[in-house]
Amino acid sequence: MLKPILLVEDNPHDLELTLIALEKSQLANEVIIARDGAEALDYLFCRGDHAARQVGNPTVVLLDLKLPKIDGLEVLKEIRGTAHLKSVPVVMLTSSKEEQDLLRSYELGVNAYVVKPVDFEEFVRAIADLGIFWAVLNEPPPGSHRYVKPQ
Amino acid sequence: MSQANPEHPPMDLSSCDKEPIRTPGSIQPHGFLLALSPTLEVLQASENLEQMIGADAARAIGQPLERVIGEQASLQLRPELDAAGIGQRPLYLCTLGIGPARHFDVLAHRYDGLLILEFEAVERASAADFRHLHRQVGDFLLKVSDSATAQAMCELAAQEIRRVTGFGRVMVYKFDEEGHGHVLAECRDDAYPSYLGQRFPASDIPRQARELYMLNRIRLIQDANYTPARLAPPVNPVTGTANDLSFAALRSVSPIHLQYMRNMGTLASMSVSLMVKGQLWGLISCHHATPCAVAFDKRTACEQLGQILAMCVESREDASELQFRLDVRRIMVSMLAGLTQSADFIDNLSSVFPALLQFARAGGAAILFDDRLLTYGDTPGEEAIRDLVGWLDLHCHGDVFHTDHLAALYPPAAAMCGNAAGLLAMPVSRIHKHYLLWFRPEVVRTVEWAGNPHQKDADGANAAPMAQLSPRTSFATWRETITGTSAPWHGGEIELASEFRTALLGIALERAEQMAELAEELGRANKELEAFSYSVSHDLRAPLRHIVGFSDLLLEPATSENLEKRQRFLRNIKDSARLAGKLVDDLLSFSQMGRAALRPTLVQMGDLVRSCIDKLTLDVGQRQVEWDIGPLPAMRADPTFVQLALYNLLSNALKFTSQKERAVITIRASDEGAEWVLSIADNGAGFNMDYVHKLFGVFQRLHRMEDFQGTGIGLANVRRIIERHGGRVWATGVQGEGATFYFSIPKELHI
Repeated sequence: MLKPILLVEDNPHDLELTLIALEKSQLANEVIIARDGAEALDYLFCRGDHAARQVGNPTVVLLDLKLPKIDGLEVLKEIRGTAHLKSVPVVMLTSSKEEQDLLRSYELGVNAYVVKPVDFEEFVRAIADLGIFWAVLNEPPPGSHRYVKPQ
Repeated sequence: MSQANPEHPPMDLSSCDKEPIRTPGSIQPHGFLLALSPTLEVLQASENLEQMIGADAARAIGQPLERVIGEQASLQLRPELDAAGIGQRPLYLCTLGIGPARHFDVLAHRYDGLLILEFEAVERASAADFRHLHRQVGDFLLKVSDSATAQAMCELAAQEIRRVTGFGRVMVYKFDEEGHGHVLAECRDDAYPSYLGQRFPASDIPRQARELYMLNRIRLIQDANYTPARLAPPVNPVTGTANDLSFAALRSVSPIHLQYMRNMGTLASMSVSLMVKGQLWGLISCHHATPCAVAFDKRTACEQLGQILAMCVESREDASELQFRLDVRRIMVSMLAGLTQSADFIDNLSSVFPALLQFARAGGAAILFDDRLLTYGDTPGEEAIRDLVGWLDLHCHGDVFHTDHLAALYPPAAAMCGNAAGLLAMPVSRIHKHYLLWFRPEVVRTVEWAGNPHQKDADGANAAPMAQLSPRTSFATWRETITGTSAPWHGGEIELASEFRTALLGIALERAEQMAELAEELGRANKELEAFSYSVSHDLRAPLRHIVGFSDLLLEPATSENLEKRQRFLRNIKDSARLAGKLVDDLLSFSQMGRAALRPTLVQMGDLVRSCIDKLTLDVGQRQVEWDIGPLPAMRADPTFVQLALYNLLSNALKFTSQKERAVITIRASDEGAEWVLSIADNGAGFNMDYVHKLFGVFQRLHRMEDFQGTGIGLANVRRIIERHGGRVWATGVQGEGATFYFSIPKELHI
């Protein structure tokens, strides 16, 4: 059974382009879309609009760095600071090549950092590679399949 | 030393300073002294009473005055004693005839509980006449006020005093800082050797003699070969101690001084103190080869001439001092004006180098600043200057250091006498090694001493006690060549240098403040620049990527078949292109905002708000918007910029109320004392207060792009505009209920 990919992206064009790229990579995984950091956390913590969702962690979080309200780095920090989310793979997807963003992301324990290529073909390839690697090839850590409710 | 007072043990010259010259226990014998009780009973008498008036001093003690000086003299004296307000300074009472052929000027003063009467023998039988004195003093005053220089005034005084007293040689001399006397003027009989231009070493006049010179302005020694007349009893019966004769005209003088006079070939002398600003400026010194009497009236004339001379000297010195300071200050002011020309302090200083030299009348100047050394004119080498500053740094802690003999304090300076015999230095910073130095070259001088001034010291230190008894005997001119010294620094130069330093520190401080301000400004600009480059790399890259992406998709065969997709992609491309363009525009305007100068005028905020709303009508369209505008004040601000800020805030309010059925936008102003506060409240989407800190950042958005359009630069612009006016921006909001944006503008703009 394939676990969903959580895509956190606020920009509608980026969202559309990313979805198209994922589609082109022919992954069978479901893609859950969060439009900002707060919504992403709501999904991960099964609260708010996602309170009723099926329990379990996504196979990978594709996280845009720059988000309104709570940005990507804050979401990442929250994930790494939470026991049952700690091991969820997170890939930072961003337009920024800024060193400080990269450093900060790795400091906070990101699994990969990908600068969205301007060239669309490259963009599609990058998204496809990410999807295949994290959703298919990568053996997720134990516990990422099931969400065990704390006692 | 037969003349030495037997009361006093022999003394060497090194103890001159300790000699009790105020209480010699004796008087000069050209008169006699009686010390009386308040009831005019004789308590003390000088032993020469017998020679003078034929009365025995010992027997006079305890007698009423009339018994001693006779009924008739007493009758003449008593009313004078009663009438006169007798104080500390001797007062002329009358001229008395005592005995058949002797006449005395009677001087009285009260001191140490005694009424002291001095009877000076005079030739004339009549009373002293002060009338000719007034004329003389008046004449002198006229002449002296015409003369241009202190030198000329001194010459005039010497002539006058010689004319009044008949002394063989009258000199006016001035004490220098070390206390050496320098003969400025002289009037003499040809038979007397000239001392003009010579210097008398400070040791010729011991400390306590100088003090007495200040207290008692005139002293006469009629005959250096006199035998002092002792007082009987030897101590003041009231106090039980030796009589303090500080103010007595007849006071006996030091045997050493008498010997000095004899050595000099002077049997009579008189000196008049010249007091300038409460200090002993100099002396009028009179000499005569043979004994010479000067009666009280003439002495009074001399004393007055001395006072007039001192006053004239003082005013002349004040005037020239003032002129000097004015000149130096004028140079300083022009320098200071030059110092603010450019931003670089040291460049400024070096640009005024010629004035800097002129300011201190120096041969060379150097500036050491942040390890940069700049020199101008005639200075020692760089290495030598750095060494010197190292020494200064360790040894001189005042504001201004000065010496006209640097080598005496700093031996390595001996090698650089040619350009740095004198130094005026000042640290320009307390923390850093920043120095301003002025150098003066060596000025070789020849000083003519009246006798070798070093001789006496040598004798005093080495010779046996008996040999030390003799004061110096040689007054022959002794030439000394003084090397290693520069022209002395003028008191005004030192004071103004100190003032200059304060001004420099002020400028440096201002500069530091400017630097701090600049650093703050730079820090802010840097942050903005970072945000700028970030946004170029991030925000601008995104729309470009979208354009490329959707264009590529458009070209795919699958897309060409799907009309709906094609249209959407085209729309996306157009949106992205428009966003990129707007982003570039906003970025440009944001960066311009930091540079353009503000032109504040009085702005009617009400008018400004209404003009903004007019511009926004197109955006309002069919929407129902209620503008609630309170009374708005006039503020001092840049109208263009403030309008832009207002427009941003109002369009924001309009934007975030777009999903409301009925928008209410409220604009209010409040007077907060030092500033005006404007608020723009809306009933729109609001925001979560958790993210309020991001609100005014560049390219920050609290809402998704498709919900509310914008590049995320509007509020950053608002903040920048308001902060450039010295005001603040802040906001409050409730998610889903609305937001209120505030900004303040100070009433006093500090731009």
